[in-house]
Amino acid sequence: MGLTNTPSDLLPGTLELLILKALRPGAKHGYGIVEHLRVASDDVLRIGESALYPALQRLLLNGWVKAEWGTSENNRRARYYTLTAAGRRQLTAEHAEFDRMVSAIQRVLAST
Amino acid sequence: MSALLRRLMYFLGRSRHDADLRDEIEAHRAHRQDALERDGLASEAAARASQRAMGNVTLAVEDVRDVWVSGAVDQLWQDIRIAVRGLRKNPVFALVAIGTLALGIGANTALFSIFNGLILRPLPVRDPGRLALLTDGSWSYPVWAEIKARENDLFDGALAWSPQRFDLSRGGESAIVDGAYVSGRFFEVLGVSAVRGRMLTPADDSTAAADGRVAVISHRFRREHFAGADDVVGRQVTVQRRAFTIIGVMPPGFFGVDVGRMTDVMLPFAAEPLIKGQESWLAAVDSSWLEVMVRLKPGQSLEQANAALRGVQPQIRAATVTGVVRARAARYLTSPLTLASATTGRSSLRTQFETPLFAMVVAVGLLLLVACTNIASLLVARALARRRELSVRMALGGSRGRLARLLFTESLIVAMAGAALGLVFAGWSGALLVRQLTTWESNVSLELVLDWRVLGFTAALACASVMVAGVAPVLGLRSVAAGEALKDAGRGLAGDRRFAVRGTLAVAQIAVSLMLVTAAGLFLRSFASLSQLPLGFVPEPLLVAELDLLSSDAPIEQRGPRAERLRAAAAAVPGVRSASLSRVSLLTGGGWGANRVAIDDGPMPIEDRSAQRLWRNATTPGWFETMGTPLVNGRDFNDGDRVGAPLVAIVNHAFVRRYRLGEQPIGRTVRIGLSSGERRYEIVGLVGDSVYTSPRDGMMATMYVPLAQLGPTAFGETVVLTINAARGQRAAVERDVAAALARTEPTVAFSFRTFDQFIDATVTQERLIAMLSSFFGGLALLLAGIGLYGIVAQAMRTRQGEIGLRMALGAQPAGIVRLVLRRVGVLIVVGLALGLAGSLWAAQFVGPLLFQVETRDPATFVGAAGVLVAVGVLAAWLPARRAARLDPAAVLRDG
Repeated sequence: MGLTNTPSDLLPGTLELLILKALRPGAKHGYGIVEHLRVASDDVLRIGESALYPALQRLLLNGWVKAEWGTSENNRRARYYTLTAAGRRQLTAEHAEFDRMVSAIQRVLAST
Repeated sequence: MSALLRRLMYFLGRSRHDADLRDEIEAHRAHRQDALERDGLASEAAARASQRAMGNVTLAVEDVRDVWVSGAVDQLWQDIRIAVRGLRKNPVFALVAIGTLALGIGANTALFSIFNGLILRPLPVRDPGRLALLTDGSWSYPVWAEIKARENDLFDGALAWSPQRFDLSRGGESAIVDGAYVSGRFFEVLGVSAVRGRMLTPADDSTAAADGRVAVISHRFRREHFAGADDVVGRQVTVQRRAFTIIGVMPPGFFGVDVGRMTDVMLPFAAEPLIKGQESWLAAVDSSWLEVMVRLKPGQSLEQANAALRGVQPQIRAATVTGVVRARAARYLTSPLTLASATTGRSSLRTQFETPLFAMVVAVGLLLLVACTNIASLLVARALARRRELSVRMALGGSRGRLARLLFTESLIVAMAGAALGLVFAGWSGALLVRQLTTWESNVSLELVLDWRVLGFTAALACASVMVAGVAPVLGLRSVAAGEALKDAGRGLAGDRRFAVRGTLAVAQIAVSLMLVTAAGLFLRSFASLSQLPLGFVPEPLLVAELDLLSSDAPIEQRGPRAERLRAAAAAVPGVRSASLSRVSLLTGGGWGANRVAIDDGPMPIEDRSAQRLWRNATTPGWFETMGTPLVNGRDFNDGDRVGAPLVAIVNHAFVRRYRLGEQPIGRTVRIGLSSGERRYEIVGLVGDSVYTSPRDGMMATMYVPLAQLGPTAFGETVVLTINAARGQRAAVERDVAAALARTEPTVAFSFRTFDQFIDATVTQERLIAMLSSFFGGLALLLAGIGLYGIVAQAMRTRQGEIGLRMALGAQPAGIVRLVLRRVGVLIVVGLALGLAGSLWAAQFVGPLLFQVETRDPATFVGAAGVLVAVGVLAAWLPARRAARLDPAAVLRDG
């Protein structure tokens, strides 16, 4: 996989799923989400801003996350995203759906 | 739904949202720079590197915006595309629905825009809410002078005006325009300023005006008479044969303060004596000829203004009481002056057309209801026909809500297209209606503006139509199940519940249509009985010319001989059978009356203003023959009846009846009471009855005197020349008489009329109502017919299989038709019963608008019901016959 993953490299909706997952432990700002995904994926997933922010807005639009301005650990102004109750439900649902898809794909790849 | 709400919130806070995003992305970059510095990069290099890693920020912001906006737009756009595609697939349905709605909405909007223009719209002047009109009726110039002297103490200024019809010709045939005399501060108090030159000022309204005789003209007048010329200021315009200098042009949209009248030429009151000479009314205390309006001070209420006015009322009345007959003086002094709000100006049309306009608004509302019912019925039919498509869409995962939205979008598109077309139709038909109000004597000009009231009204109508028409098919969706239609494709046995829904709609349509047709019938009969009223003279060969004797500087005493010379000139024209003069023309609405009349030596009654006045006319010998009114007994006037000879009179049968003269009126004496004594006339002739001001008043008691016996100063400014010519030659005679009159006296002005025009003017209201109600009735009938036809045709299609089967089993085509007609007959009968009940109830409201027709006129009711039955049967018979003619084998095979 390349340096920055654009949504077209992932299955549709996967980036949103990853963001929801990244927010599961607690509120994060945009850079924090990118770092979390990078670290958790052993440097495989590097999300660019041009993919991250539209995805975050889609989550906002659907009411799955909410955003608040706050101050970051190194004393900078940053916008923090938090999961809403609907977002938690969505994460569970999408997670299950994703598992189903992946195992289906694996079955296909494993055959023959 | 909540996503929609969030979208809306986003849309409202767009700029803040964008700023937030930019801040956020900058914060993102700063965090990265921090991380790079932690990794050991120099601060500057870290800044550059973080910048590079950012990529295209603008694009990101754009993408974000797309997330919020494009989704909603996309969905709406998709709905619209699908709906338009659905409509285009069935253009007949789309055209019928949109056309029906356009007519319904258009007719409503047309009437409403007239209602708006006449009654609702404020005057186009500064702060019209502070204007108040001095009611009831007109005032004399001395009263105005008293108010003007106090205008700034009592109010924030006052203005007066007198509507006039000005003749712009230099002589010969009149060129009449609507104009007015106005007070010097008229424009200043209204707050209207000139688009060219300047408006009138108090200096213009004085006898020593520096600029001489001046006039201001309307924007329209400049356009029509000066081709919109820019140098119109300073040019001359001839008014009543006097030259006036144009000093300014009124702004477009300003018509004066009389709503429904375009005041094209305005002169200061100071010009009136120049035109009328020694007959000027400026000093006359007993001539009421002008209107007074005041502007309230800021914060001054109408009550306070009235109190202020009544505080000075004794002075105003006392200063103007001279000349008022003593018996009336007491009442004159005490009757209170009253101001009424004049935000919307003044209009004589309002009282005349308020009731008919209201009746028509109700009728047109009912028409829209019929139109909506029709569309509802069509949409239901369409939804039924699309059950297959809808159930496929549902089977493919379309949600019920989404499908409902689709159907609703379709109704909305139909309604919006209908409303848009309706506005066009309204603009055209509204202007047409207003033109119908114009008669020979009043030129109705009402600007129909598409202001927020009209547009709001139309939008509300369109929404209401969507509600009424669009809900039914959406409700019908509830009965559509996914895939269901796939199973029984086209084989449904009809006669089911859905037919019943449309049947109910048809019943409602028939009922409302019957009401409209009945109303149309009543108004038509009313109009017919008005048009067929006997007149008492023969109007067909007559041509009337009103001669304006004011047009010359000759002294008043010369008017009699001048008029006689003109008459003789007209009588000598080839083709003229006779030409006679009279003081009054019949059927013009004007008259010459007497209040105190006694016979022989009977007591002279005291004045009773509530009693019907005795109508009078003054004629030359031969007038009755010219008019075609028979001389029953005695003699006509002759040349011996002139000033100095004994006063004589001719009366008609109605006069004899009213004053109980019995068998032999000739030789008896009529006495007319005047303020200066009384005058005695010997009756020398008896003529047949005739109408006077209007045919609807019936035959009026009338007394005729010789024109030649009117004193020289009693001769009016105008005299009426009546010409009897063969009908086919009227145009030629008119031309030749005009030439003869102009030869005899080049400065005399005249205008030709016919009695058709006079009679038309007396029935304007009735003609308009009859015309509109027939149009609405006819339209309702057409819609009901189409509606019924649609239902039956639809039913026939769904029952094709059943009918084919019946026929294959031996049923005759006639039997099939009977079967259908029986079912439709039930609908018609129920609809008629309901409509009849509604008509009987509603008839009481149209009573005041009827003339010599009972509100529950049986013939009209039966006729209207008959017409509906005929239309209904025809609408059912056509599709039924077609179904019965189908080849049963083919139907069953294709089933």
